[in-house]
Amino acid sequence: MNKRYETIKRAKDGAFKYFGLFCTFFGLIMLAIFIGNILFEGLGRLSWDFITSYSSRLPEKAGILSALMGTVWIMVMTALLAIPGGIGAAIYLEMYAKRTRFGNIVELNIANLAGIPSIIYGLLGLEIFTYQLQMGGSLLAGAMTLALLILPIIIVATREALKAVPRSLIEASFALGATKWQTIRRTVLPAASSGIITSVIIALSRAIGEAAPLIVVGALAYVPFVPTSPTSDFTVLPIQIFNWVSRPQKAFLVNASAAIIVLLCIVFFMNAIAVYLRIKKKIKY
Amino acid sequence: MAEKLKKAEGSFKIESKDVHLYYGDFHALKGINLSMLENTVTALIGPSGCGKSTYLRLLNRMNDLIPDIQIKGQVLIDGQDIYQLKSSEIDHLRRNVGMVFQKPNPFPKSIFENVAYGLRVNGITDKSFIENQVEKTLREAALWDEVKDKLKKSAFELSGGQQQRLCIARALAIEPSIILMDEPASALDPISTGKIEDLIFQLKKDFTIIIVTHNMQQAGRVSDFTGFFYLGELIEFDKTKKIFTNPSKQETENYITGRFG
Amino acid sequence: MTHLDSELKMLKADIIEMWRLVINQLEKAKESLTNFDRDLAEEVVENEKRVNSYELKIDRDCENIFALFQPVATDLRLVLASLKICNNLERIGDISASVADFVLDADQDFNKAILDHTRVLEMHAIANEMVADSLEAFDKEDTRLARTMFKRDKMLDKIDEAALDLVMECIRDYPDQVRNTLLVMSMIRKLERVGDQSKNIAEEIIFYFEAKVLKHKKKKQKEGDE
Repeated sequence: MNKRYETIKRAKDGAFKYFGLFCTFFGLIMLAIFIGNILFEGLGRLSWDFITSYSSRLPEKAGILSALMGTVWIMVMTALLAIPGGIGAAIYLEMYAKRTRFGNIVELNIANLAGIPSIIYGLLGLEIFTYQLQMGGSLLAGAMTLALLILPIIIVATREALKAVPRSLIEASFALGATKWQTIRRTVLPAASSGIITSVIIALSRAIGEAAPLIVVGALAYVPFVPTSPTSDFTVLPIQIFNWVSRPQKAFLVNASAAIIVLLCIVFFMNAIAVYLRIKKKIKY
Repeated sequence: MAEKLKKAEGSFKIESKDVHLYYGDFHALKGINLSMLENTVTALIGPSGCGKSTYLRLLNRMNDLIPDIQIKGQVLIDGQDIYQLKSSEIDHLRRNVGMVFQKPNPFPKSIFENVAYGLRVNGITDKSFIENQVEKTLREAALWDEVKDKLKKSAFELSGGQQQRLCIARALAIEPSIILMDEPASALDPISTGKIEDLIFQLKKDFTIIIVTHNMQQAGRVSDFTGFFYLGELIEFDKTKKIFTNPSKQETENYITGRFG
Repeated sequence: MTHLDSELKMLKADIIEMWRLVINQLEKAKESLTNFDRDLAEEVVENEKRVNSYELKIDRDCENIFALFQPVATDLRLVLASLKICNNLERIGDISASVADFVLDADQDFNKAILDHTRVLEMHAIANEMVADSLEAFDKEDTRLARTMFKRDKMLDKIDEAALDLVMECIRDYPDQVRNTLLVMSMIRKLERVGDQSKNIAEEIIFYFEAKVLKHKKKKQKEGDE
């Protein structure tokens, strides 16, 4: 009786272990299949020419230059818009804002904003930036739309990083006669820096993969030039990929795979920086 | 008692008159009248939640950081009511009233920069002055010999006791006249505690020190005066010798003999 | 130097000062007896107040040190020893004042022959020396010197035991000096106590420096410790 109970207990324990193992590996295997498939299809197409050529109707001549440069432009501009705004808002909410009913509503809304589907942001950008502010389908309109998209993510994550700064450090700074701003600049921000940078990078790597809002705002699928100013028309990698995937020719699919590899490389690289910073700059209290 | 002391030993460095403090609806301090003489060590003892830390944090307006707080009464430092100060003068007050916290809390910076922090935020840029001041205060905190070869190293490389002495040096660097200590040795081992206590004894020459402690023996060892807080009231305040040999209130006696409640 | 160290140093200094005062009192008492110096005797009686105030101060200091510092080990033994030594010293102070009082009670000069015959001055000299030597033992941490107290106390006891017969002889030989002779007898009884007090002090000194308790032990054991 007792022995049987023991056996069943052990069997259950073992069974759960393997179930967990399966769940873990399921995700990993799917990712490996996906990446393997992409690499298998696209790696052969990847070449210097592919990166330095403009898009073309002929699949073997087509490249991603304008999309890649558009992505770089969009990323830099989004970062310039979203980072100061996001960090500033987070500092205000965390360090200055009083805990009032209004403050609580603002906070709740920011958390909700982070969960809104990206296409809605595209519609917002279309209405405000493209039409009302008459920016058209420019880089600026796209960057502002993406900045809006990632702002709540940066705010929420930065606030978490600021919250993680021990209260004792902040008190120590005040006790030495520092003002609030001196305390923020000399103590809070340095101590939260790795967390903030990580959150920014993760937000940007989300923005880099977005196609839908940019399409809505009016990014083009075919751009035979490199953008030269924030008012230029543009395209980005995800749109280029989306465009190629929707073509009937098999060769364009191969092009799409190659472009995906480039996009993945950028995203992985950014995530690697985030991980590096998290490990390297981690401060123990 | 207070009046007698005043006549006998000169004027008070810190005076609080009928101070009440509320956290929201909670009446945390109930009419505290307490005065401290210059260059003395005053220990505040009492069970957790009795208001002793709250009272301590009143003296450099550290409680201002807490929302929903209300303070009545007068707190005079060098004769000036610190609750009449403009908010822009509070950092000036905190320069005069240094504070050492319960857990060592060095900044994630070098040992040197930790001590220099207070000077820098107070607008001092003269490099040689800062260097001299850092050395001087590290010596005062009896830490110089242990750290002089690694000033550029992170403060986190120091032991807990050394970190706390660094925090004391950091507070001394801006030359306050009062030092508040909130259970400064509660996170330290006995040897480090002993060093901190000796340091307090040495610092008494130049500073007025108020120390909150859970450790009654510590209050006995380091202080000249002791105040016993209970449920937001100052039950008894007297010379430490008197409190520890013959307290006048039964509550005090029960607390210090460990027969509490 | 820690706070406790400085307190202990002050305590020790106070004890030594009290000790010197008591030795001084004994010397003056003896001198007033030898020279029949009434003024000096009066000074001794008057100074007894100072000895008492030292005792009160040291008692209070010890109480504070216990309450504030909770001394342990050698520090604890110092405070405990100080507490008891100052008690013993106060008694010795009382004895010197009593001797001076007896001098004041005398109706005429003490006859040199009576003083010599009863050995009271010799006894006084031994007692004074014992107190002075015990201070030296305390100050120089000399427990060997402290241990000599036990033998010297025996000498005082012998003089004391012999005193009754000698005093009776004196009363017979000098019938005009009965009062003074009886005063001398009282002095001898008092001075005998100085030996006991010094012996107690010696035990405290040994307890302080060696952490050995010698009280209520047989003589052999005490000397065996040497």
